[in-house]
Formats: sequence, structure tokens, C-alpha cells
Amino acid sequence: MTLDWLTKFHGRLKKSRDYAEKTLASYRLGMRAKGSIIGVALRPGPNCCEQIKELAEGKIYHPDEAPYLPLPDCPRGSNCECVYRPVMTYQEREPQVKG
Amino acid sequence: MNSMLGVLLRVPLFQLYRKFGWPQLLPVNLTLSPSPKCNSRCLTCNIWMKRENELTIDEWGKVLSSLGKAPFWFTISGGEPLMYPHVVELAQLAYEHCRPGIINIPTNAILPIIPERVERIARSCPESQLIINLSLDGIGEKHDYIRGVKGNFQKFEERLGQLLILRKELKNLIVGIHSVVSTFSIGHLDEIIAYADKSGVDQFITEIAEPRVELDTVGLPITPEPAEYATAIDRLITYVNSKTYHGMSRVTEAIRVEYYKLVKKILDEQDQVIDCYAGWASAQIYANGTVWPCCVRADDLGNLRDYNYDFKEIWFGDKIKEVRRSVAAKECYCPLANASYTNILHDLPTLGRVTSNLVRPHRVPASPPVAVKPASIHQSSELQ
Repeated sequence: MTLDWLTKFHGRLKKSRDYAEKTLASYRLGMRAKGSIIGVALRPGPNCCEQIKELAEGKIYHPDEAPYLPLPDCPRGSNCECVYRPVMTYQEREPQVKG
Repeated sequence: MNSMLGVLLRVPLFQLYRKFGWPQLLPVNLTLSPSPKCNSRCLTCNIWMKRENELTIDEWGKVLSSLGKAPFWFTISGGEPLMYPHVVELAQLAYEHCRPGIINIPTNAILPIIPERVERIARSCPESQLIINLSLDGIGEKHDYIRGVKGNFQKFEERLGQLLILRKELKNLIVGIHSVVSTFSIGHLDEIIAYADKSGVDQFITEIAEPRVELDTVGLPITPEPAEYATAIDRLITYVNSKTYHGMSRVTEAIRVEYYKLVKKILDEQDQVIDCYAGWASAQIYANGTVWPCCVRADDLGNLRDYNYDFKEIWFGDKIKEVRRSVAAKECYCPLANASYTNILHDLPTLGRVTSNLVRPHRVPASPPVAVKPASIHQSSELQ
């Protein structure tokens, strides 16, 4: 994939306090407004916890049902490297929206 | 100082600034994104979903007054910039405070109010070149599909016709077509080139679709494979080199050809290839007042609301130092066109090739790569 550095860099960006709320709100709006977004996935960071791996594994969430990042017990807090990713209609994964 | 010559005279100073941190300079190339709101639903962009606590027009006025005459080239971006209710006032404020040589505005060409707003900007900023680039990602339904709006192509043609009429009266108006080369459009790039060739626009430019933090497209499969891009863009370079352009469009196209070659190298080598000046000579101010070195990384350098709207406080502050170190250490690379323009001007071998292209004799016009149905260019070709 091109710009691999950006994938890592994106995770390392410090998260604002409203990261989850704001990101999920935008995806919610995107789905309501009939964009090509079909849900949200979690992309675990390189040193993530087991819990996020389980939550992320092959799942596409509706923004209303997605876990808040960082997870409440995340020891990294605003430096958590796990991120949300929009899932689009044109991506190869079969859409199986949870929730 | 706000001429192309003034920009070129600042090149050695920016080179010193990047290398030694002195002399301190404000950016020559500044992108203003007053709002992420957009009425397109492009497959290659998710910015339209965002909502921000946007700077008011009064706040923009304070920010722009802090920049003085430093910026030569403004891009008013979005979202859809010509949908932003205060876009005319924003351009006027930029003009009043900074007297830029160029004001560049991309547009999706959907709203009927666009020509009126363009005319007001052009008339009230007479000493700036106003470049309006209409987005075109396919012909007919292909465009509508990629842009996510039914009937978009028809509106594009209406707006194009209207703007080409305006251009006759407004000497400082340049009308162009801008195409995003993505995994969705690369297969029909030749059709777009052929359409642009007959459209009567001053310039046709393309930009590769790349993931950006700004657009929330990190990790999405929108960037064409390097080999596929190289093949398609080589045909475009051949076409551009065979055409004759005038005025500012001649400069733009000469730089653009070098940009296309640079993108091929960047994708191939996965490296900056030439030094990036984002964070020194170019920057972006996002809708909520956050200053970024560029929209690909979108590092939060500080919010202007926290610095009394004084851009210099952020630009010459401490937080930007780590970002500059990271960019200089080549921890990033990308094919972002806006920043690449500035980078090309600061790379002497590339600048030499641009200059050489500019001074070469005009060539005999060549045919576009493929023919296009005359019905789809009815208005604009009549206007030439």
C-alpha cells in the first residue's frame, strides 16, 4: 500500500478528548446522508491490548454501536494508537454491519 | 514583493530557513479551509461528513491581518469552498490584507450561485489572478458515480459554460479543469483529457488521489498502483507538452508536468525525492482555526483562537519545531500537489526544468488521446 508511513503516523497522532464522539458523529452523518460509508472499523495500534483486538477482529460497526476509543482501561490514554476507520462500499470486505 | 519574481527571490531565504532555522519567514503558499461542508459525496473524500466550530469571518480577518504581504498564493479549499456563505468576504479579506498574486479555488460546480460568487471575487480582487478549477472525474455518468451526485456532470457543463462567458469580461479570471486520478478514474483518464482539450478551458490539471488525515481517507484503496499511474500520466505529459498555454496557465502547466514526473518517482521510491517545504513555505489553516503544515499529516501546530489570531505566534513558536524536524528527516513523503508546487520552486534542478519548459518555442498542437462525443461539450466549445 502507498504511504504506509501515514498509516502509522495517523495512529500516533494524539487524540483529542472528543475524538470518539466527533469521529463517530461524522460517520453517523455520512451514513444518514447516504454517502458511500457503510460503517466504522477499529484499527488496533501496534502495541494494543487484547480487548481491542477482540473488538476489532473482522467487525464493522454502526457508529451508534462502536466502542469509544481510547477504551476506558487503555493505559495509553490520549496516546492510544488505535483508530477508527470508515468502511466504504467499494472496499473488498463484505459489509456486515453490527448493531 | 508579491509577484512571481518576489517568490523566486525568497527561494534562497527559505532554503536557509529550512536548513538553519533562519531567517524566519511566513509561508508564501497558504491554504484556507473555511468549512468542511460539501454537497458532493465523492468516493475519494470523507471531509464532507465533518462538522467544526468554524472560524467566523471576523476571526478570519484577524488571522489574515497577521500575515501581512507574505502569502503569494492562496488556495481557498473545503469542503466545497464556493458553498461557504462568506467565501467572497474571505477572498476579499485575503486580498485586502495580503495582496496575493494568486487566489486559487477548486469547485465541484454544482451550485447555481457559483458564477455570481466567482464574478464578485474577481471584480473585488483585480490585482490577483483568480484561478477557478472545476472538478471533473469522468464524463457523464462516470463523473456522477465518482462524485456521488446524480446530475453532477450536467451541472458541471452548465457552470463551465457560464464561467467561460465570465472569463471574456474578467481579465484576471482563469478557468481550469481539475481531475483527481484515483483507482476509480484512472481507466478513463484519456476520455477526460479529450474532453478538457475541447472544452475551451485555460488549463487542465490532475492530482493523484492520496490518503490524507484531513479527508479521513487514511488506509482507503483510492491511490492507483504506481505502474498504472505511470502509464496513464505519461500519456498526459505527452499531451500537455504538445499544447500551447498562455500567461499564468503556461507557468501552471510547466510546473504541473514536473509534478507528474515527481509523483511517479515518489510512488516508485517511497521517498520525498525533493525536499518538502511544508511547515516552512506552505501551510494550511483548517476550519476550526488549527494550523497544519499540510493536509496529509494535519499535525496540530496550535489553534489560532489560542494565540489571539496571530499566525506568527504559531509559525515561530516551539510546537512546530518537532514537525519541521520530522519533515526534514523525511519521516513522511506524499504526492500532495499543493505542497509539491512550492517544493518544486525550491529545488533548483526541477526549477531549471520548469524554466526550460517555459522558454522553449511553442509546439504544433497534437490531438488528444481519444475522441469524445461532441454532444457532451456542446456549450463550452461554442464559446471559444
